[in-house]
Amino acid sequence: MRKLSMLAAALLFSFSASAQTPSGYPADYSKIVDAAKKEAKLIVYATTDAVAAGPLIKDFEALYPGISVEYSDLNSTEVYNRFISESAAGSTADVIWSSAMDLQVKLVADGKALTYASPEIPNLPKWAVWKNEAYGTTHEPIAFVYNKRIVPAGDVPQTHADLAKLLAAKPDFYKGKVTAYDPERSGVGFLFVNEDVKNWPDAWGLFREFGKTGARLYTSAGAMMERVGSGEHLIGYGIFGSYALGRAKKDPGIGIVLPKDYTLVTSRVAFISKQAKNPNAAKLFLDYILSKRGQTIIANQALLYSLRDDVDGPASVKAVREEVGDKARPVVIGPDLLKGLDQMNRLAFLKKWQAAMKGQ
Amino acid sequence: MPYAVIRFSVLAVMAVAVLAPLSLVGYQSFLSAPFFDSMARFTLDAYRFVLAESDFWTAFGTTLIVAAGMTAIALPLGALLAFLMVRTDLPGRAWLEPLILIPLFVSAVVLAFGYVVALGPVGIISTHVKAVIGFLPWNIYSLTSLVVIAGLAHVPHVYLYTAAALRGLASDMEEAARVAGAGPWRVAFNVSLPMVMPSMLFAGVLVFFLGFELFGLPLVLGDPQGLLVLTTYLYKLTNKLGVPSYQLMAVVVVTIVAVTAPLVYMQRALLKQAQRYVSVRGKGLKQAPLPLGAWRYVALAGILLWFAITVIVPIAGITLRSFVVSWGEGVKLMEVLTLDHYRELFDYPNIIRGILNTLGIGVIGGAIAVVCYTAIALSIHRWQSGWTRVVDYLAMAPRAMPGLVAGLAMLWVFLFFKPLSPLKATLFSVWLAYTIVWLAYGMRLISGTLLQVGPELEESARTIGASALRTQLDVTVPLIRYGFIASWLLIFLIFVREYSTGVYLLGPGTEVIGSLLVSLWGTGAIDLVSALSVVNVLMIAFGLAVALRLGVRLHG
Repeated sequence: MRKLSMLAAALLFSFSASAQTPSGYPADYSKIVDAAKKEAKLIVYATTDAVAAGPLIKDFEALYPGISVEYSDLNSTEVYNRFISESAAGSTADVIWSSAMDLQVKLVADGKALTYASPEIPNLPKWAVWKNEAYGTTHEPIAFVYNKRIVPAGDVPQTHADLAKLLAAKPDFYKGKVTAYDPERSGVGFLFVNEDVKNWPDAWGLFREFGKTGARLYTSAGAMMERVGSGEHLIGYGIFGSYALGRAKKDPGIGIVLPKDYTLVTSRVAFISKQAKNPNAAKLFLDYILSKRGQTIIANQALLYSLRDDVDGPASVKAVREEVGDKARPVVIGPDLLKGLDQMNRLAFLKKWQAAMKGQ
Repeated sequence: MPYAVIRFSVLAVMAVAVLAPLSLVGYQSFLSAPFFDSMARFTLDAYRFVLAESDFWTAFGTTLIVAAGMTAIALPLGALLAFLMVRTDLPGRAWLEPLILIPLFVSAVVLAFGYVVALGPVGIISTHVKAVIGFLPWNIYSLTSLVVIAGLAHVPHVYLYTAAALRGLASDMEEAARVAGAGPWRVAFNVSLPMVMPSMLFAGVLVFFLGFELFGLPLVLGDPQGLLVLTTYLYKLTNKLGVPSYQLMAVVVVTIVAVTAPLVYMQRALLKQAQRYVSVRGKGLKQAPLPLGAWRYVALAGILLWFAITVIVPIAGITLRSFVVSWGEGVKLMEVLTLDHYRELFDYPNIIRGILNTLGIGVIGGAIAVVCYTAIALSIHRWQSGWTRVVDYLAMAPRAMPGLVAGLAMLWVFLFFKPLSPLKATLFSVWLAYTIVWLAYGMRLISGTLLQVGPELEESARTIGASALRTQLDVTVPLIRYGFIASWLLIFLIFVREYSTGVYLLGPGTEVIGSLLVSLWGTGAIDLVSALSVVNVLMIAFGLAVALRLGVRLHG
């Protein structure tokens, strides 16, 4: 911890020593900075909880003194509801930052976002930028978690196929002991299984094993990990790596596996509202969370998994690569995500899911 | 100012406050898109979609079972408890009273999670039971458990209404029954409780209503087995089409209103002869406790058992959880003890603000709400007019909206009704939402007490020339002052533990503990949830202790 704060202090010093325009940014960037300081305020709606985001916000406020951040953390449905209601009424947040990738893409597709080409674009992976409006800010692997005390070491699945085999081989031991998001009740859950099917032809086989062993389906990762930690369930499927990492740090009984056949990678998507009252402060904030400085905090303090190649830390794209090599499969931010929101597609998919849950 | 003007302006304000969010929801149910969307057009599609859903009907059936089941449990137990506490020589009444009210303090999510830790499949008690008898005789996630827990948790609601009424009852009739040779139970069931039937019916209907609104318990306990009630079905519905579809949510709410409206009608019919039950007469009130004999210890044991199951078990569960990093099968609790979760609370400036805001909403907001409820209740008191029926229906209507939807509707009101917009980011918005959502509750509380005042007292004031307003301020209000304090306390408790209504109004400056708990639960910060829950419980326990210490008596 001390090391980290010294690092942060050193970073802070080096930045405040330099001019307000970060290197590599256009020369007229200082105009945005000046305008932002006149706005003096920034409103963010996000799904990232305030403690994880705290170091980011504090550092941002230190970098641009005079701009204060009003940060509200809500769940993804609430972020969406509040944003569309408020923007219809005429005034809403400046930056929307949510892990519900599909809903974010829908808002951008509906023309709710301000077009702004961040100077950080060259440092970002291609999949993370759409229309210069929607920006992926994190590189979060989707993990398995398991109960270290009870799951035998030989059972710990390393791939999706391992998990399917394990459930087929020991159905009695794992009866009611596997837990996953319920795609019928959770938007994130739907997104995950939908991506599984795209990435892995045998996904439905695994889901049928879920059905046969009576997997328990929840709407929140917290509920799942709590129960894996207690031994009520033994294996949690499809858990945000950031949550799992945070939890495992506190509870040594929780083990994390990034599956070696393929690891889904999701991202918290940010965009600037077209109706932003503080568009310049919003631009600074967006650039900041994408910058090396912001991403370093994401990788080391917020533990949300940074997505830039030039950032190190326990929660970084490098750390993921060390574990799964080139098997990371980012969910591409773009119109493909809208297919899952199409009513017909969705209901058909869920029907198939329901059948799989009956073991068919 | 003529009395009629005051009366109508009070009622007009109330009607607007209730109808604005409700009519938005009703209007929304007939549209194809959010009402503020330019693409929205009139259609019955939302009704067609929902009514064709098998999940909807399953959830509907489950809700009916839960609501009826919990009323069947809470009503007799609550009434009996009130009788024992108010009318008999039960030992330890003085310290039992605050204990009995505790289930009202705790947010349902907290209770439910406490049960999972204590009685879940690998719960702390469960593992011991399993070690002794080899299997677990209960399943905490079943429908039966849900009904039993909800029923036991709502005993205090019935208790409060019934006890308040019993306190206004002179004991001469009970004594007469005793003299004639009736045992204590016979007195309870044939004399005392029938005398307070209106209050019991109020309580029963309200508990049934609360059954429809139940959210925290089924959210946590119904989750593992996919048990759906209408409120948790709303969640599922939101996601079914990927994008939150207000029209579908609105249809479900309209259905709930349609089902519950006839209940209000039934209740009114039952209460038509409320005059029969008037017991505070112009004569002096004398109360003497009824001796229970050997039964007093049996009764005490029963109350303590109820208290253990309803309060000690879940609170112990959540408290324990707040002091450990992990729990469950194979965890030695002594090795995982920690105070970190409490330290972490201070990392959140919004949690500290939330705690202060919650206190403010409970104490100050609660008092203002009681004043509002009293103004409304007085304006229809003794009013022989068809309008009272309208007011009754209006008061009940917002309660039919699940807290989450009511909160969203209130957000819309604050967004699209421009004069109110500047207040959106202030605690006023949360207060107004709470006050409207709990209108039926508060009104019943006040009007139940008002029914205890004999008309001859007011009539005598009128006879000597007092105006209607003067009579109410100088006669009626002072006579029910104990009812006020009890109501304020109750509203305080309700406001402090309310959790779903404030979610959509949550923002910097409007944090309250309840909505913070919901949002923390969603992100998986159960460490913080448990610590904050304990803080919440302590806060209220402390408030109650101070109130008792200062001499605020819960009964006359």
